[in-house]
Amino acid sequence: MKLIALIKKEFHRFFHDPRLIITMLLPGLVIFLLYTVMGEAIHAEPEKQDYKVYVKGEATAFTSVLQTALEEDGNTVEWLPLEDEEAAKKAVEEGEATAILYFSENFNDIISDPSGTGGEVAIVYDPMDEAGSAFYALSTALLQQIGMRFSVRSEPLISEEGIGRQIMQQLLPLIIVCFVFSACMSVTLESVAGEKERGTLSTILVTSAKRLHIALGKIIPLACISMLGALSSFLGVALSMPRLMGISMGFLGGYSVGSYFLLLFLIVSFVPFIVAMISVVSTAARSVKEASAYTSVLMIFVIVLSLVTAFLPTIGNWAVAIPVLNALVFMQQLLAGGLPVWQSLVSIGMNLFYTAGLVLLMTKMLSSEKIMFGK
Amino acid sequence: MSEEIVRAEGLRKSFTLSRKQQKIEKTGETKRVAVNGLSFSAYRGEIYGLLGPNGAGKTTTLRMLSTLIRPDAGDAFICGHSIVKEPERVRDEIGFLTSELKLEGFFTTDYLFDFFGAMHGVEKGTLQKRKRELFQRFGIDRFAQVQVKNLSTGMLQKVSLVISIVHDPSVVIFDEPTNGLDVLTARVVTDFLAELKGMGKSILLSTHIFSLVEKLCDRVGIIFDGRMAAEGPLEEIAGGDLEKSFFDLFYAIKGETV
Ligand SMILES: Nc1ncnc2c1ncn2[C@@H]1O[C@H](COP(=O)(O)OP(=O)(O)OP(=O)(O)O)[C@@H](O)[C@H]1O
Ligand SMILES: [Mg+2]
Repeated sequence: MKLIALIKKEFHRFFHDPRLIITMLLPGLVIFLLYTVMGEAIHAEPEKQDYKVYVKGEATAFTSVLQTALEEDGNTVEWLPLEDEEAAKKAVEEGEATAILYFSENFNDIISDPSGTGGEVAIVYDPMDEAGSAFYALSTALLQQIGMRFSVRSEPLISEEGIGRQIMQQLLPLIIVCFVFSACMSVTLESVAGEKERGTLSTILVTSAKRLHIALGKIIPLACISMLGALSSFLGVALSMPRLMGISMGFLGGYSVGSYFLLLFLIVSFVPFIVAMISVVSTAARSVKEASAYTSVLMIFVIVLSLVTAFLPTIGNWAVAIPVLNALVFMQQLLAGGLPVWQSLVSIGMNLFYTAGLVLLMTKMLSSEKIMFGK
Repeated sequence: MSEEIVRAEGLRKSFTLSRKQQKIEKTGETKRVAVNGLSFSAYRGEIYGLLGPNGAGKTTTLRMLSTLIRPDAGDAFICGHSIVKEPERVRDEIGFLTSELKLEGFFTTDYLFDFFGAMHGVEKGTLQKRKRELFQRFGIDRFAQVQVKNLSTGMLQKVSLVISIVHDPSVVIFDEPTNGLDVLTARVVTDFLAELKGMGKSILLSTHIFSLVEKLCDRVGIIFDGRMAAEGPLEEIAGGDLEKSFFDLFYAIKGETV
């Protein structure tokens, strides 16, 4: 009963304060707008493509079939003889040309002869480019249809723009974590450190409510409220992701419903942990100012952790044991198209486990007169 | 003599002084004995006043009695419950009020009354009945739906007082009840205490104001340096002039030099 009254009080304060609600829901909107605008800028191309492909070698028997297939979908193709290789590569990189096709000698003859073997095709394209990856997918599919007699070599050429998008994809977990962290921070600092500073927490301590209930009465509702913020960030990401990833999503086969769910659970599972962490820090601090200083240090630590994971993608499965890091690592993998199911589930469990530990720590701190009433 | 309701037995509390505190107080000592073997008894239906100068250990004593801090040695019993062994039982028997304990300004009086009622495990029906009674008696009804932060100081003080007795405690403990209040608000508080006494509550308060003790208290304990210098019924201790008796005691203990 006392626990319920404590939880209700936090919710009551939150839902009767429009200012708090806005700060909670804003991050999602910002993510959505940010990524939609960025995605829009990157994917200015229309759905119908005008392909411009450089060709080296004689392969009209193949290119004419490919042309028919592409034009059937309403695209146009322009074949250009490859003269200056460097210039052509540059054009592909800059998105002015779609791809370069290299055919081995006598490719036409090999195709026409059902028993012919030994042909070779190389494709240079930009996998981060919508047209490039679509062209690559179609031409390799066609080559396979004709027969498995050729070796196909692809030479992905990642443009600066493509790298930009890759970085964006890598930074996405960092951005989510930052937004979630600041959502947790804004409610928790105010509610825990604020109440301690204003002396309203002590008023509750003189009642017969159990210290454990007081700790839970803070962490449970604050985690729920922060989750609203996290959810809004998640929706922002989920809604803008297709736009952001463009065709490369289709190229990866898209994100499955499962991976969206895991992503959601990962985000949600580290919210209670962060709330509990900030609550503990806030309980220890003497003022909101002190608490926010400590929390900023925590936040910088988390950001560094995110950067490390973004640029060190080879972190092993031991990451499940470390809160926040686990969410970051497996979020990264999910966004890259992987589906680390058990790692995600274990991470979620671990985060809850650590949260329970922090709740007990906060209970201890609430009972400590040095922390609560020390000068 | 009526029933003993608070009994302190050799309460002792010392604090380790932080660097900062040592600097502020210009002292090299690292330990401060705030309360040094304090014993006294308060009786049902009476107002007991702890009188002492700044730093005598009044707040520390009341904090121990209200279970916010634990004594290093000794114990105290409130309605027979040990503050050391049964702090939760004690918390339901007392209402504690100090200027450091505040109410969250965001909520209304009505909400906070219900909330603190729930914190003390008061049954809903009883709580509503009590709310109606108390709000009417102290003229709070009109302000019940006003956010606490918008109340005048006098009304806020009344609200705090009423909320501190939401669970119908047997003992009300009050640290410096009129400190920092203007004459009007101070009057609100003293009237309230008299009213509480009329309701049969036992009250324990601390102060350094002689007139407050003379006006309200049935019994008084004078504390210097964490020790009880004198204790007994007001007439006995004061002997007609409380202030004179206080300083006589003070000089006898500290010497004329101070
Ligand atoms: N938490 C604490 N840490 C360190 N020292 C403390 C602490 N609380 C009290 N003291 C010291 O103990 C002594 C007694 O303090 P206390 O607050 O009990 O006195 P008081 O009688 O209430 O005085 P005042 O009239 O100033 O309120 C003081 O010297 C004070 O500095
Ligand atoms: Mg004091």
